[in-house]
Amino acid sequence: MSSDIFKRAGLFIAFALAQALVLGRIHLFGCATPLFYVYFVLLFPRNYPKWGVLLWSFALGLIVDIFYNTPGMAAASMTLIGAIQPYCFEMYISRDAAESLQPSMDNIGWVKYFYYSLVLVIVYCLVFFTLDVFTFYNWLEWIKCVVGSSAITLLMILTFETVRGRQE
Amino acid sequence: MQNLLEFLQKYHHWFLFVLLEVISLVLLFQYNSYQGSVWLSSANAVSGKVNEGRAEVESFFSLRQMNEGLTLRNFYMERQLSQLRRLYSEATEDTAGLWAKEMSFLKQYRMIPAKVVTNELNRQDNLLTIDRGTKDGVEVGMGVACGQGVVGVTYLVSDHYAVVMPVLNTASRISCAIRGHNYFGVLRWNGKDAGVAYLEDIPRHARFKRGDWVETNGYSSIFPPGVLVGKIETVYNSDDGLSYRVKVRLSTDFGHLRDVVVVNDPSIVERTRLLQSARDSLKLNVKE
Repeated sequence: MSSDIFKRAGLFIAFALAQALVLGRIHLFGCATPLFYVYFVLLFPRNYPKWGVLLWSFALGLIVDIFYNTPGMAAASMTLIGAIQPYCFEMYISRDAAESLQPSMDNIGWVKYFYYSLVLVIVYCLVFFTLDVFTFYNWLEWIKCVVGSSAITLLMILTFETVRGRQE
Repeated sequence: MQNLLEFLQKYHHWFLFVLLEVISLVLLFQYNSYQGSVWLSSANAVSGKVNEGRAEVESFFSLRQMNEGLTLRNFYMERQLSQLRRLYSEATEDTAGLWAKEMSFLKQYRMIPAKVVTNELNRQDNLLTIDRGTKDGVEVGMGVACGQGVVGVTYLVSDHYAVVMPVLNTASRISCAIRGHNYFGVLRWNGKDAGVAYLEDIPRHARFKRGDWVETNGYSSIFPPGVLVGKIETVYNSDDGLSYRVKVRLSTDFGHLRDVVVVNDPSIVERTRLLQSARDSLKLNVKE
């Protein structure tokens, strides 16, 4: 358990720094921002304590918020997908799967992994950008942001996952 | 009781979920009105340091270009200054004495040089962070400008960092005037193009033309008068038809912001106090 905490903490810092230093500054076509830290939530294995998923996601969201002066936005969205991640993963695996199965392309297959990440990324982007434009009714901009950021985030996650699968 | 405990045991993660969501939403909705949340912003020490390091690295790649720009501008200013000085002495037939007296008003503004450590352009409410805070004399509500023109107003200040609300923030209001005509209005941004802002409430009887310069008017005492804002591009009628709405091409390039100055005017406290007491006495009179 303690080695797991150290591993997650390492990942946590890596994701936070990557987002704060590089990824958060990319705005393709003025709307598509890679929100790669969502991948952190996707990595929790089956039967990981649900409160643990929630706390980790909330904390990472809060750190991202602090760096980008958006208090609560990323934290609220990350907590939400942290809550649905265990159920979402459960949908794509069989009942008799290994107790602490790691969500990855190799373990559940390309197509299932794609849908699994698609659902979580879309939910995240929807909530995140809805909170962002809360006071500002510019629907076209909102849709552009949701679609653009979801696409680029998903692309990054799938690329990363493919590379990781090959290395192992 | 047993059942209740079991219930709590079984669904405790949902309670945690609700708790965390409530915390997030409180943060979200309090941020704009709650000035004490410095440590949750990019002005806190840790994120400030990280961002400072990144800005340092980035600056290596843009210093040369920036230097060229500044040298050119400096040269232009020097030429303009000498021209003005000549014209002034011709017009007043006076020596350096009067000129020095005229220029002494600049001294009441203390400039605090600062570096931008984070910057954003793509949101409705952009904010940027600079590496000077209360320890360096920066306080909330001070004007920030750069070599090219106006930048914004400090919004949150911690010991060593400050968050600035730039012109490119839908909540930003800066009092400006049209150079040479002294008609004034309020500069606002509509959340779209990062190179354009709108000067509103220009009176209908004002006479000006496209290409005129817009600058700060010094009424708000956040900025000294005459800080460049931009050039008039198009003129529209306001929605209610009672005033003009002027589209201004901003002279500051917010995409390449690096070195800025915080303008500290010691007379600001006195002026705001006076204005406040005037308002209070007006209110009292109305009540009577």
